[in-house]
Amino acid sequence: MTTSRRGESNTADVDWMTISIYLGLVLTGWLMIYAVGYRGEENSSLFDMGTRHGSQLVWIGVSITVGFVIMLIDGKMFRTFGYPIYIIACLFLLYVLVAGRVIAGSQSWFDLGFFRFQPSEVAKFATCLALATFLGPYNANLQTFRNRAIAIGIILLPMGLILLQGDAGSALVFSSLLIVLYREGMPPPLYILMFTMIILTVMALMFDSTFPIILGLTLVASGILVNALRTNRPKIIFFSFAVAALAVYNIYPEYELYVLGTTGLVFLILLIQKLRSKRRQLAILLTVGLVFGSGYTTVVNYAFYKVLKPHQQDRILVWLRPSKVDPLGALYNVTWSKRAIGSGGLTGKGFLDGNITKLNYVPEQVTDFIFCTVGEEQGFVGAFAIIMLFLLLLLRVLFIAERQRSKFTRIYAYGVASILFFHLLVNVGMTMGIMPVIGIPLPFISYGGSSLMAFTVLVAVLLRLDSDRLSVFR
Amino acid sequence: MQDQFQGRKYVIQGLFIVTTAILLLKAVQLQLIDTSLREQASANVIQKINKYPSRGLVYDRNEKLMVNNKAIYDLMVTYDQVKDIDTTKFCQLLGISREVFIKKLNPNFASRRYSKSKPFVFLKKISSETYARFQESLYEFPGFFVELRNVRGYAFNTGSHVLGYIGEVNEKHLKKDPYYQSGDYIGISGVEFAYEEYLRGVRGVDYVLRDNLGRIVGSYEKGERDTASVSGKDLISSLDLDLQMYGEELLQNKRGGIVAIEPSSGEILAMVSMPSYDPNLLTIGRGRGDAYTTLARDSLKPLFNRAIGAQYPPGSIFKPVMALVALQEGVTEVNRPISCRGGYIYKTLRIGCHGHPTAMNVSQAIQHSCNAYFCQIFRDVVDKNGFSRASQGLDVWTDHLYHFGLGKRLGSDVPNELTGNVPTSEDYDKMHRKGAWTSPYIVSLGIGQGELLITPLQMANISATIANKGYYYSPHLVKSFKNDTTQIPLKYRTKHFTKIDTSHFRPVIDGMEDVVLAGTARIAQIPGIKVCGKTGTAENPHGADHSVFIAFAPKDNPKIAIAVFVENGGYGSRYAGPISSLMIEKYLNGEISDARKYLEERMKNANLNK
Repeated sequence: MTTSRRGESNTADVDWMTISIYLGLVLTGWLMIYAVGYRGEENSSLFDMGTRHGSQLVWIGVSITVGFVIMLIDGKMFRTFGYPIYIIACLFLLYVLVAGRVIAGSQSWFDLGFFRFQPSEVAKFATCLALATFLGPYNANLQTFRNRAIAIGIILLPMGLILLQGDAGSALVFSSLLIVLYREGMPPPLYILMFTMIILTVMALMFDSTFPIILGLTLVASGILVNALRTNRPKIIFFSFAVAALAVYNIYPEYELYVLGTTGLVFLILLIQKLRSKRRQLAILLTVGLVFGSGYTTVVNYAFYKVLKPHQQDRILVWLRPSKVDPLGALYNVTWSKRAIGSGGLTGKGFLDGNITKLNYVPEQVTDFIFCTVGEEQGFVGAFAIIMLFLLLLLRVLFIAERQRSKFTRIYAYGVASILFFHLLVNVGMTMGIMPVIGIPLPFISYGGSSLMAFTVLVAVLLRLDSDRLSVFR
Repeated sequence: MQDQFQGRKYVIQGLFIVTTAILLLKAVQLQLIDTSLREQASANVIQKINKYPSRGLVYDRNEKLMVNNKAIYDLMVTYDQVKDIDTTKFCQLLGISREVFIKKLNPNFASRRYSKSKPFVFLKKISSETYARFQESLYEFPGFFVELRNVRGYAFNTGSHVLGYIGEVNEKHLKKDPYYQSGDYIGISGVEFAYEEYLRGVRGVDYVLRDNLGRIVGSYEKGERDTASVSGKDLISSLDLDLQMYGEELLQNKRGGIVAIEPSSGEILAMVSMPSYDPNLLTIGRGRGDAYTTLARDSLKPLFNRAIGAQYPPGSIFKPVMALVALQEGVTEVNRPISCRGGYIYKTLRIGCHGHPTAMNVSQAIQHSCNAYFCQIFRDVVDKNGFSRASQGLDVWTDHLYHFGLGKRLGSDVPNELTGNVPTSEDYDKMHRKGAWTSPYIVSLGIGQGELLITPLQMANISATIANKGYYYSPHLVKSFKNDTTQIPLKYRTKHFTKIDTSHFRPVIDGMEDVVLAGTARIAQIPGIKVCGKTGTAENPHGADHSVFIAFAPKDNPKIAIAVFVENGGYGSRYAGPISSLMIEKYLNGEISDARKYLEERMKNANLNK
């Protein structure tokens, strides 16, 4: 396609749908912040700068203005200055490490006097741009080890710097950019391996000893071996054996050694039989996997329970094993967060009527735990609406990404989607107790000018690039 | 443009959709399925604070305060709200050890009774003094709050059996009456038990909102659900405090009971059971358990209310009733003389009597307490329809006794009242064989011996019934409610009539007057007051006989009817008679005349518990 439908202008309309969703989320967020701060009619001035909702309103104004300005900037600028922006962002990160302000335990704030901002917010945007710049050229790809290493390096650099600040939550956000690399051709086995590692890690932490995990792995491996057999009878026998072994283990945990020993023996027999046959590869692979898996989980388990300090363990245990955590200590936030959401029921308690929200039961209510207010006051209907609105936004961004002729814009768009996705999953997940509590905000909704501005810029640049889609080929 | 990885966009879309679905499912679980979260949340945020009403006070009939309220405090705690408190200071203020603190803060949360998010009692029964010290620092201990409770205090060491005591509700109470909540106080015995519904008042509730530090930040729904507590009604009891205390004094160091009734109303003026105990011992507070155990183990049974719980053969005090029944049944006449040859003799049966002039009429028979006379007229009643139809005659007799309130509960408001025993023809059919017994078998019933058993309350009631010439009100301890128009229960305003004509009472009452004037109880004479009485000596197979006396006075327009029972006191005239007369004099004159002071001293100083 060489000409635009509008003739002389090579710009398409901005994507109004995205803008609508954006405005919807921002407005909802502001109402929720207002609700948290609401203390009765006497002090409910909507525009009082001294209140959180007042200051948030100012930030919304500033953010929309900035977004508007970005729409006026020539899109080529972002393509040209991708690396410089990335480098400046990394320098910022370095700078706060040296001279930043410590807030809530992490040294990640940059104080400009009239407002403070977190360079890590800028870094998200900058990293998306850098990835797009690196992989954007027509001939760039992820088929060589060097390119893969560079791409991962682009992600790891800011991630590492932020981790050094002590802000693990924000650092983890960058891992979501692996989704971008996947879309651009990173080989799947890498992801399968990572996924397996995550599962094994989680499992290693969920049990006091790794015995049940090793038992499970052995049974699965044996099952795969049996399944490869041609005849059916051994399959039935093995299935019965597996059920029996699990039953014995559950009823008489003290016999775990015998159960594991027997299972190991069965695996060995199957293994020897398999090694005699022609398809040895599977057998070897399974053996390696089994040994590696058992070893890995044991090491992780040992490191976690014996090496980490109790308060460090708690952050994970809150998520995976809440029963092991002091309900008035580490579990407090999550317990009250869940209660607030749960107490909303189907339709919620009504706007401004969420009493848990109001009475400060949930710490960091307006920032990281803003979703509680939605859940409490608007109930499941509200929670459903917000989550669906986010899904709509995510799918819209993916749609925008896929309609680009420019690889640059597509990669950037995937970056935006990945970051939003990660924030949504972890933030909403942690308020409901299915994700570890790592303090990252809910985009557009949480209180905080720095975060709102960063997400606005992220989306505005996408819209700017998208509106150039008809004229850009690269 | 070539894009060999375009298909991967579906994987990513799928990832987004699946993840969102997981979040939604979790929201469904939290908000729609799991209602426990909702309960926990409201239990902790909205808190119910009980406002305990002050329990009604108890006055005596002259409105002297007998039972008052003392403030005591229960310290409550909500486990989930306890944060960062200075335990050392906390324990010091309350005077408890650290171990106790930890133990009290961690009850068995597995049990349904306790929840970490709901308040439970941390420490009960904190005295006002301790509370005063603790209260100043209460704000430093989030999660703790105090509930004011009222317990009983007694201005006088008297009437413990009658007044009763309160205690905490148990499982049974909770099941029976939905009003009660665990931890509530309830009347366990005496007036506290009988008038629980009047005295307890109505518990009020405040619904308050608490913030994360346990501070009250306001009322829930602007207090629309809050209810005020309503104080219990103040009860004016029928007791005469002075008379009650005097009775206890007279009966000190003896075992026995006194019941005094106002005949015209059935109001119990005094109900004494000795030995007794200090009512302040059983007031709710620390150390009550030990006091109770000590009392329960005492061999003299101080917790036992003999006035309603002891059953004795009445002995001769039953004779006036016997005379009335015989007169009513027409089997004897007022002026019938019956000779007494030193006792009642029938074939080989002999019931001894004491030397006295021949009873020329019913009055004299009562005056001299002639056994032969009453055995004879008893047999006349039983053999009314013929010697072989003793059961028919006995049934008539039994029926009369029921109408005197014997053999059944009088329906008084004293809890645990016993029935006594009036033997019936069925009893004797069982004991012997149907139709195989005749009047001589059971003749001792005529003089109040044998299987007949009566409680002191019933004895006093007989006295009141005779004083009323044929009717009684169920004896009761309540007179009215102070500053309140609530009437006492209808059953205490209802007359119960005997089946005896009023006219038959005259000779009997004359006889009872003569008992005091010139009969067995001359010691009970009070100058200026016509006292009618009857002595009794209840046979006691386990030791010395019991001394019994019933009386009422003045003869015309009686103000007080009384029964006195002194265990192992011997003849009725020895202890029971004098005590009765002193009680009557005290009640009617307000004091004991100098001429009778010696008697008062003798009674007070008599010690039968040695």
